Amino acid sequence: MTRARRIDRGPGCPFERGAQVEFRFEGRTVQGYEGEPLAAALLANGVQVFGRSIKYHRPRGPSCMLGHCSGCLLRVDGVPNVRSCEHACRSGIAVERQRGWPSARTDLFRTVDWVYGRRLDHHEMFTASAAINRLAMRFVRRMSGFGDPPSADPPAAARLERFEAEVVVIGAGAAGMHAALALAGEHRKVTVFEADPRPGGRLLDGACRIGRDGGAERGWAHLAGIEEQLRDCEGVELRPGTPVLAVYQGERGHEVLASNRGETCVVDAARIVVATGAHGQIPLFENDDLPGIFSLRGLDRLLLGWGVLPAQPVLVAGGAPAVDLAVELVERGVETGLLTDLEDARIAELEKRQVTVVRGQRIIRALGAKWIDRVELGPEGSQTPELVLDCGLLAAGLADAPAYELAHHAGCRVEFHSESGYRVVGDERGRSSNAHVFTAGHCAGAPDVERAIESGTRAGMACALSLGEDPDLARRLDARCAADG
Amino acid sequence: MRDRADLVIVGGGVVGLSLACQLARMGFCDVVVLEQGYLCFGASGRNGGGIRQQWTTEENILLMKESVRLFRRMAAETNYNIWFRQGGYLFLARDGKTASTLEANMKLQNRLGVPTRMVSPERARGIVPGLDTRGVEVCAYNPTDGVLFPFPALWGMAKVATQLGVEINTYTRVTDIQTRGKQIVKVVTDRGAIATSRVVNAAGAWSWQIARMLGVELPNKPYRHEILVCEPLKPFLDPMVSDLSDGTYFSQTMRGEICGGISDPEEKSSMETRSSFRFLHRMCRSMLRLLPRLADVKVMRQWAGYYDETPDGNPILGPVEQVDGFIQLNGFGGHGFMLAPAIGRQAAEWLLRKVDHPMFEKYDLGRFARGEVEREIFVIG
Amino acid sequence: MAKTIVCRCEDVCIEDLKLGFEQGLRELEELKRHTGLATGFCQGKCCIAHAARFLARLKGGDDMVADPPRTRPLLHPTPVYRLAGELEAEPEGDGEP
Ligand SMILES: Cc1cc2nc3c(=O)[nH]c(=O)nc-3n(C[C@H](O)[C@H](O)[C@H](O)COP(=O)(O)OP(=O)(O)OC[C@H]3O[C@@H](n4cnc5c(N)ncnc54)[C@H](O)[C@@H]3O)c2cc1C
Repeated sequence: MTRARRIDRGPGCPFERGAQVEFRFEGRTVQGYEGEPLAAALLANGVQVFGRSIKYHRPRGPSCMLGHCSGCLLRVDGVPNVRSCEHACRSGIAVERQRGWPSARTDLFRTVDWVYGRRLDHHEMFTASAAINRLAMRFVRRMSGFGDPPSADPPAAARLERFEAEVVVIGAGAAGMHAALALAGEHRKVTVFEADPRPGGRLLDGACRIGRDGGAERGWAHLAGIEEQLRDCEGVELRPGTPVLAVYQGERGHEVLASNRGETCVVDAARIVVATGAHGQIPLFENDDLPGIFSLRGLDRLLLGWGVLPAQPVLVAGGAPAVDLAVELVERGVETGLLTDLEDARIAELEKRQVTVVRGQRIIRALGAKWIDRVELGPEGSQTPELVLDCGLLAAGLADAPAYELAHHAGCRVEFHSESGYRVVGDERGRSSNAHVFTAGHCAGAPDVERAIESGTRAGMACALSLGEDPDLARRLDARCAADG
Repeated sequence: MRDRADLVIVGGGVVGLSLACQLARMGFCDVVVLEQGYLCFGASGRNGGGIRQQWTTEENILLMKESVRLFRRMAAETNYNIWFRQGGYLFLARDGKTASTLEANMKLQNRLGVPTRMVSPERARGIVPGLDTRGVEVCAYNPTDGVLFPFPALWGMAKVATQLGVEINTYTRVTDIQTRGKQIVKVVTDRGAIATSRVVNAAGAWSWQIARMLGVELPNKPYRHEILVCEPLKPFLDPMVSDLSDGTYFSQTMRGEICGGISDPEEKSSMETRSSFRFLHRMCRSMLRLLPRLADVKVMRQWAGYYDETPDGNPILGPVEQVDGFIQLNGFGGHGFMLAPAIGRQAAEWLLRKVDHPMFEKYDLGRFARGEVEREIFVIG
Repeated sequence: MAKTIVCRCEDVCIEDLKLGFEQGLRELEELKRHTGLATGFCQGKCCIAHAARFLARLKGGDDMVADPPRTRPLLHPTPVYRLAGELEAEPEGDGEP
């Protein structure tokens, strides 16, 4: 297994970073780039264990790189549980790991995991007698909790702003941005909230392609195009780095709560377009939580977006998105293996380039003490490994889970599909079960970026139409929907 | 599902389950509990788990003392951790009137064996480091009050009752109760009917609906009450802190989360359980005012449940005049969880052994018609 | 045998779900409360789909898990100070000129 290193990010990379800076990691000085995610900087410095899990003290590390999971929580400048994949690296910050005794790296409480090999039932433990129970409670209290309370000077209350908006678009991915463009085209005023400091959503994935055949456009290039259009657009206000936290159904209508470091706002929104995308998922197998295992999008962001390669060889597993990523990695000279059931010309091409391609196998378990170093593979349904592969980094893809949560806050109907999870129910015009809420893109089940873009445009048009009669717009929308029968 | 039972309990909340558990322990197991959702669906799965003995009337103080005794043994008796932690309750008074109420309460509580004491703002800062006591006149502190985790208390009681032969049916909604004359004959649910002559109405905020099935009007009204929980952190707050000026309360659970709520004088009676920004905002402002070091603590989640409120703040217990065998055990407002073990036990004794508990007369439905109401003023969280 | 972790935030493993199901927990709302699933830092983003798939398989179909557990605000853990500001502008009341 090779050591962590940085790789070339290639042309057109949309992530900006500043100069090299130094910061403190548990007393030692380490280097990173100003503005890159703290998690990326630490991984580049060879940090593997970021913390320990709550019950079994299993090692934890980043896995989604998009601010969804809990693998990368660290204490930063005296504040506990900071998501280091979202926290920008800056000169002079002081970073520590949490949990674990004597340290997160070497944690003796890991024995809990071994002693209770199958599971530990916290409901029934220590209930033999009232006296034992009371004594145990003291111990449990000391063991519980994730991180020490904040020790930094408490900040004052942030600015809180309340305003009205005609339309709030949640999510500046492909669907959200096209919805905003469509709305602006109908002279509607739109506020777009985006959690990521860098708008783009899936278009930011280095492996994202629009249109499969020869003329495929790179997501990064498409993004640059829309951003230019949006810049010229009057009536669209884009607020990146400002996640929407909740949608409330208040007495006056819907209230959208969004917040960033500097300010928080409550928006009384006449209409909402939910275009929140999807969360990367990792399939279930033994030790699926081992550091070094990422979702496909997580690994994409880390390697292609930020140019950090924590270890090699990389095993990429899954369907078409996994193949896209593998192609991209091979292109950059990363030692890559592919686990897939697909057959196509690109895979044949990879095989020609000496890439190991394994078919008809599933991951049974990951092995490694604190970071993945091998995976055991076997046929679907089997628990007996047929194949063991060396693996320094694993990107295991399952279909991303639609981000239905905010639409669910707003009372929209959702439905379940085993292959991906819950998704927002919307018709071909993006109308949800709530007359004031529209939905588009992956959160509503769009299977790929092209269709996310189209659904965004339609939802934008339908949303504009719901705000006022417009026979011409109605005709154009009808025609658009009729086009695909 | 059984088709007949000696007694049917409507509502699988803490009150219904506590009664079922106590009845079963006394050997009376021909009981069916009906719950429309999962266990914890009602207020019992949505509350703050605050257990205090700082009350204003002799009855309530003694009941709560009994409950605390029972909660202390509950984990061992049910084989289920309820994570009960006696870190105390600290009440803050910001005006003279509240201060003298606390003082009077303390005397009564002391006489009944509850070790409450008045503490100065300085002393309060010793109990809660970082507490901002500006504007606080005096505090009342009882170290034997505490907090627990509500879900497992319910599961534990349900487990014991089930093991002893009680049948608990979740996802079973009572849709009608049929009578012949003044006698109950049958409880109808969306999963079948149960022949019985006795029904306990422990349906919390839904109790008025159950009573209406029998033509009985309860004066109870449901009010939404919201609550939030923060990230789990290492222990740094021992007691439940409660500011009597605005009804804020919060404490740290055994898992390390700050959990609490705030009263809202503008909340109107409704069957609403959605969360609101208004609550989140008011609660965060209040937390920041009381304990500025919470500024950087992250809020994880907010939710809402009901307070089942009666006109005088006391529960409705015992039989009603209109229908025989229709027993009320509802109207517990914001303190049903802490009352439940003691109430369940007394109700079981009263039902089975005809032990005379004056409560069941004093707090019957008829008191409103008779005009014998005495308001409990200390209803917070 | 090593653990298969369904919910990393709360260390819930597949065995916990299996046992819960055997003990009669047939709904996500119940499994969530018993195991702590979906109540950690990620608030279910990484585990709800897994848990629903698990239940759907045992109960015989996607429509058996039609509803996810009620989604509670907030979507991301957010510090108190950010939610405690003074409201700068209240929206205008209905009857205002
Ligand atoms: C946010 C909040 C915080 C609170 N904090 C505290 C606290 O700190 N300490 C404390 O002691 N108390 C507290 N309370 C109050 C406490 O939770 C309640 O008083 C107590 O749980 C009431 O229990 P119950 O069994 O009467 O009602 P519930 O728990 O509501 O149970 C009634 C049950 O009846 C069921 N039901 C209703 N209709 C039907 C039907 N037709 N068929 C079948 N089943 C039906 C419901 O689904 C429900 O589960 C709080 C309450 C809330 C909402």
